Amino acid sequence: MLFRRLIFFTVLSWAGAAGAQEPTPGAPPPAAPEQPSEAITGRVIDAFGKPVAGATVSVEGGTATAVTGRDGKFRISAPLGASLVVEHTGFDPALANVVGTTLDDVVMLKAGTNSETIEVSGEAPAAAPGAAALDRRELQRIPGTGNDVVRALTAMPGVVNFQLPLGYSGVVIRGSSPQDSKVLIDGFEVPVLFHNIGFRALVPAEAIQSLDYIPGGFDVQYGRASSGIVSLETRPGSDQRTTQAEVSLIDGGLLAQGKAGAKTRYMFGLRRSTIDLVLPSLIPASADLSLTTVPSYYDGQLRIDHELSSTWRLFLSTIGTNDVFELFATKDENAKSKRFYNNTRFLRLTLGGQYHEGPWSAKLALSGIAQEFVFEAGLFQRIRVQQPNVTPRAEITRTADSWAGLSHVVWRIGAEASIGRSTVDIALPLERREGQPMPQRDPKDTSTMFNGSFWLPDFAGWTALTADLDPQVRATVGVRADAFGRIGEVDLEPRGELQIKLPASLTARLSAGAYRRPPEFQSETLHTEIGSEHSAQAIVGLQYEPREGTRVQTSAYYTDRSHLIKSNPDGTLNNDGRGTTVGAELLATYRGGPWFGWLSYSYSHSTRVDAPGAPERLFDYDQPHSLNAAVSWRRGRWQLGGRFQLYSGLPYTSPQGAVFDSDRNIYVPVYGQVNTSRAPMHHQLDIRVDYSWKWGPTEMTAFLDVQNVYMNESVAAYFYSYDYTQRDAFKSLPIIPSLGLRGVL
Amino acid sequence: MRRAALVVVLALAAPGVGACMGDIDPPWQLDHDRIVAVRANPPGIASGQSSAIDALLGSKGKMTSVATPELARVVSPASLSDVLSSNAGRWLVTAPDETRLAAARRELALAAGVPVPLQISVSYAGQSLVATKTVVLGQAADNPPIDGKIAIDGKPPGDAELVVGKLVKVPLSIDVDDAAFDVAWLTSCGTMHDFDLPQAYLKVEVDDPAAGELAVVVRDAHGGVSWQLWSIHAE
Repeated sequence: MLFRRLIFFTVLSWAGAAGAQEPTPGAPPPAAPEQPSEAITGRVIDAFGKPVAGATVSVEGGTATAVTGRDGKFRISAPLGASLVVEHTGFDPALANVVGTTLDDVVMLKAGTNSETIEVSGEAPAAAPGAAALDRRELQRIPGTGNDVVRALTAMPGVVNFQLPLGYSGVVIRGSSPQDSKVLIDGFEVPVLFHNIGFRALVPAEAIQSLDYIPGGFDVQYGRASSGIVSLETRPGSDQRTTQAEVSLIDGGLLAQGKAGAKTRYMFGLRRSTIDLVLPSLIPASADLSLTTVPSYYDGQLRIDHELSSTWRLFLSTIGTNDVFELFATKDENAKSKRFYNNTRFLRLTLGGQYHEGPWSAKLALSGIAQEFVFEAGLFQRIRVQQPNVTPRAEITRTADSWAGLSHVVWRIGAEASIGRSTVDIALPLERREGQPMPQRDPKDTSTMFNGSFWLPDFAGWTALTADLDPQVRATVGVRADAFGRIGEVDLEPRGELQIKLPASLTARLSAGAYRRPPEFQSETLHTEIGSEHSAQAIVGLQYEPREGTRVQTSAYYTDRSHLIKSNPDGTLNNDGRGTTVGAELLATYRGGPWFGWLSYSYSHSTRVDAPGAPERLFDYDQPHSLNAAVSWRRGRWQLGGRFQLYSGLPYTSPQGAVFDSDRNIYVPVYGQVNTSRAPMHHQLDIRVDYSWKWGPTEMTAFLDVQNVYMNESVAAYFYSYDYTQRDAFKSLPIIPSLGLRGVL
Repeated sequence: MRRAALVVVLALAAPGVGACMGDIDPPWQLDHDRIVAVRANPPGIASGQSSAIDALLGSKGKMTSVATPELARVVSPASLSDVLSSNAGRWLVTAPDETRLAAARRELALAAGVPVPLQISVSYAGQSLVATKTVVLGQAADNPPIDGKIAIDGKPPGDAELVVGKLVKVPLSIDVDDAAFDVAWLTSCGTMHDFDLPQAYLKVEVDDPAAGELAVVVRDAHGGVSWQLWSIHAE
């Protein structure tokens, strides 16, 4: 999290510092602000969190210097608002803005790797207890994740694991539901995170700068979610221009990045699936299946960063994806009743500006998305949704060294509007909701019908104050107001956090807050009679750094969920559901020498009551135990890694029998108590081997990523016969090898 | 909905990619204890008319049979629970007069004058096999005619036992509109392909039983159902 925060604020300091270095032609350099010098302390670390000893820290335009100790820490005299330059042989220089007497970590990257190393400091949103972050290099290093964000997320504590991705976003956090968490790319929501096939994230790891995982207790700037946040930041271009290509059995792509002129950087990526080239050959000739449009996908990313002036930095970010398939569940391609078609595509364009001058900084952004989802099944069932949306957002930050008896004060205020228009043409059965077993498919059932358009106007505002109460205690208090226009609801969500430095390298964090998720999942937007889902979260966390490069963090949480949306027998919805989740998480990481280690364990118990007086039951995604242990070793041209996963199966509801509906020719299952059965525990070992070499001017890397090495076939789910008298297991795939080749020019 | 699309694809792909559903009977399997179809003859009756209820039953290891229900009851509307009766081993639905039909429409919140759907439940094999069936009251209707519409291996099948070759695709066809009728081809001899399409085909694989039955069941949108059965063997 810290590294991510540093990078985030880097942008501001880089713009300011770079501007300060460039004298205006024909004019003398601007005078430094008249500020008294203070004793400033901080720490310098490398990309893996290891302290950098012997780095020289100097005040830009001044004479004071300091050298970091073995623990990477330094103390220097500098005025507030000054810029610090950090230098060390073998590293690119790093910059830091002095916004208080205690700075957050300054990160240095190895020389030539890139120049995204502009760092700083304390005004970032407060890290939530239990949160974790991965940068691009770490994303690529966790074995078994196939260099993919979706799979990397499964290594996070609190993320529900399953042999297949779950829900829209591919991530279920702390046993709730997929729709309760949001996935953001460059600060804005995306409707999906993974492609239809291959279960690959729609942004390749190479195009990602960092991944922030906040399972709960997130800041007031985040909203519309009642569980957690996954935030991805695309990769800005670096000073060193590179072009790379990568191809594997799943997909292949190109990525180019670098600098264009003195103040502009770019990153451009394009990827296409390759699995569709081999998929038809994997389907037996005897199968009654025709892939008229083989499932395939494209995705693309473009990012341009430009330093407009010493105080302004602009960026343009575009991501897009297009997934399509058409198949017939028969060899007869004229049999329209057996046709299934899907096209999911969206394009998000974000234009942002970041301002920083003295104690003031601001983030402005205007983001728009064009999205379309089409699914057609047979002759009668379909859904076509087009939902363009425009979101302007602004946040202003003011820092002060002291104010009203507080020190290191950071005050933020922000607002956003999300204006969308939804055009829906739907003819489908009543949708399945949380806790309801999968119904028998009736191809003629169109109980849910709607054809029309409506506006989705939502507004939000937030403010937060962060300050040191004393040298050991830092507090954040804030409030967010959400107005959900479609349902005419206004909510206030207070949130806060205490961060307490304890002896022996311990830091305790206490977080609590209120959260809302508006009705926008599946067909919820068609219903104006319902309100948002609520959650109240309380989290306590402890972070321990016993030695260099080693970090252990634990957290325990309690989440109270209310106003949960559930369906009535007639298909209308209500907010009668309640639920609770309790759990504890552990994350231990080690970064030292050639080693990278990762250990996470989660315990969770997630229950809900669907109506007053109804029996308590488990959430669909209640997963009591989840363990991930990964280790990676790198030396010379070789990188070897392994990852072991062990996690509980998910609950399910067993059918007790079925009644044959002779008119519709389907069996209507009769189910027992909801989620009283559970799939068996799953475990698997994944390995990854990378080998790098030079081929002319090209840096080549070949990799082999093998999932489920010892071929453990555990049950993911059960399929039932047409009359529910027999069942068979849908098992995890026994082994998934993936070969790939990457070249960087 | 995105997930729904995925689930559909997975469900469709699972049988195709092998082993996943290898141990459970497919829906076209006649060699299975089941109710294949419940028939009301006729499916729609005007006031004062009667309709007889029976069903086509599949049995594991045995030939199919047509039987009247062991038990039957009215599920809805409750005000018409007495229109179903057992008489001389037959279950009969008798449509009541218009006054009672009007009361039933009010109970079901139906518009005036529209036919009243009477849902009944029937059971067989000591209530281990249960089905529901709708009989339309207040409007006469017949079961869909299928005589002369069927072709097996390109020819009208007749009533005699069918003989087909092993490992040969045997085309099955019934001349009805896929959008208006629900078609089901079933067999206990061979492997059925496209069992729920008007144009299907049968292939007797090496490991399949070489003798059994072939059936086609056709349903319309108004509760009508018709079926036809043949003995079949492969050589």
